[in-house]
Amino acid sequence: MRSIKLISLVITSWLLTACLEDLNPESKDLRSDSEKGPLYSDNFTAIDTLNNSISLSDELLSHDAVVLYFTMWCPLCDSHMSHIRRQLIDQYSNVRFLMVDYVSANVSQSRSSQRANGFDDLTLLVDNQQALLNIYSATMASVIVINDQNLILLNEDYKNGSRLIETLDNL
Amino acid sequence: MSMLTTQVWSVLKAAIITLSLLATSSSFAASCCGGGNATSLVLPKFGKKILDISFDIEDYQGFWNQEGEYIKDPQGAELNQYRLNLGYGQRITKNWQASIILPYVWNDNQYSGISSQSHGFGDTNLSLWYEAFDRVTCVYQINSLADLKPSIYLGTSLTLPTGNSAYGESSANSFDITGRGFYRIDANMIIEKTVYPYTLMVQGSYGKYLARSINQEYGKAIEPYTKRLGDRKFISASIAYTFFLEDLDTLTLTTALADLREDAGRIDRNRDPQSEMKKQSVAITSSYATADLRFIYKASWSHAFQDDDRGKNFTATDIFTLGFSYAFN
Repeated sequence: MRSIKLISLVITSWLLTACLEDLNPESKDLRSDSEKGPLYSDNFTAIDTLNNSISLSDELLSHDAVVLYFTMWCPLCDSHMSHIRRQLIDQYSNVRFLMVDYVSANVSQSRSSQRANGFDDLTLLVDNQQALLNIYSATMASVIVINDQNLILLNEDYKNGSRLIETLDNL
Repeated sequence: MSMLTTQVWSVLKAAIITLSLLATSSSFAASCCGGGNATSLVLPKFGKKILDISFDIEDYQGFWNQEGEYIKDPQGAELNQYRLNLGYGQRITKNWQASIILPYVWNDNQYSGISSQSHGFGDTNLSLWYEAFDRVTCVYQINSLADLKPSIYLGTSLTLPTGNSAYGESSANSFDITGRGFYRIDANMIIEKTVYPYTLMVQGSYGKYLARSINQEYGKAIEPYTKRLGDRKFISASIAYTFFLEDLDTLTLTTALADLREDAGRIDRNRDPQSEMKKQSVAITSSYATADLRFIYKASWSHAFQDDDRGKNFTATDIFTLGFSYAFN
């Protein structure tokens, strides 16, 4: 009986201190009114794995929108990037798709990962100071869509890509 | 001690060891796509209570992409997850038992350009088992058809999303994840037969995740949607050999092959093919039991096959586990 009390105490303590927010998930929209509308994106400049300088403003001069996808070379990132390459890049020819590597220390290592993972054909930005990661509060598998008015139309997890497609269809 | 008593002790002890190995043979991998999962804990037939503590070191080696091609982790990457699992099992009636496993998780991720350390509770596992046999079925030799009868355990388990998932405020980024954020209900079965010194075991489970609403990702409010992960299927086959040592201590070596899969999930009403995954692995476990049957010391190594088509859309890892169990009444 004493051991059951002890175990119950441990379990109760555990559950009280554990992360409980997922035990009762909510469907309520937590976004403020300002968050529901598009936010403005400042310009940025970054280097890609071919040592080209890429700026948002330049890309938006010649494209309807820029899509940023943040990769850390994980299986989920791989499947999302394959999906982008297979399903989206040709379909939305007036949209610039830029992958962002925020885990490699330099251009050389980023290029090496790009080749090893078979994504030579995609443009990969080297975000070794995590500047873009911080600007957009991004993380693994974040996808950002910025239109030619510098408005951020989408900033969330890629999931199955359906929201990205919906956003691009509405450009 | 008479010969008969010695044999009974040996049978009981080997049964404890065999069952204690279930904890390691059902170990699953954990990652940024889903971390912190616990293991099963099953009491031997005659056991009343058991405490089980284990420590996992999971070392990430690479991953399989969606085509099943194996890809190594980037140069300079050193990704590890450590888990402390606290388990308790309690017999309820002669043929029913229940258990709980509470994990605590540390993530240690080093890439060439970024590093992160975080920790938190993992997902909690509650299990209920029915033993479809009344007596220990381990035998020394087969003299009749009845001696071929295996031990069959039927169970159900519930995974509670007590870890830090991508869908709450506890995780600021993917490095912080220690749980998947979904409830899961599993139907489990174990079939085991021991004819000394050999033991064969097959274990399987089929799990269904419950759909849930999601209104934030990594603490960032987003347009709400509904997500359900795909059904989870796990099967493992193992063979063990028991050495009888002096003073009735025993050493058991086990080799297990495991196959873990998850179907594609759903986001709102759309299929999510990116969530479909597969992982195949091999595990080697050694277990030492003291003569008084109170303490069992375990060490295991689970290795994902780092070859093409041995997995899909999932991380390939090595898992080292050290643990011990304490049985008491």
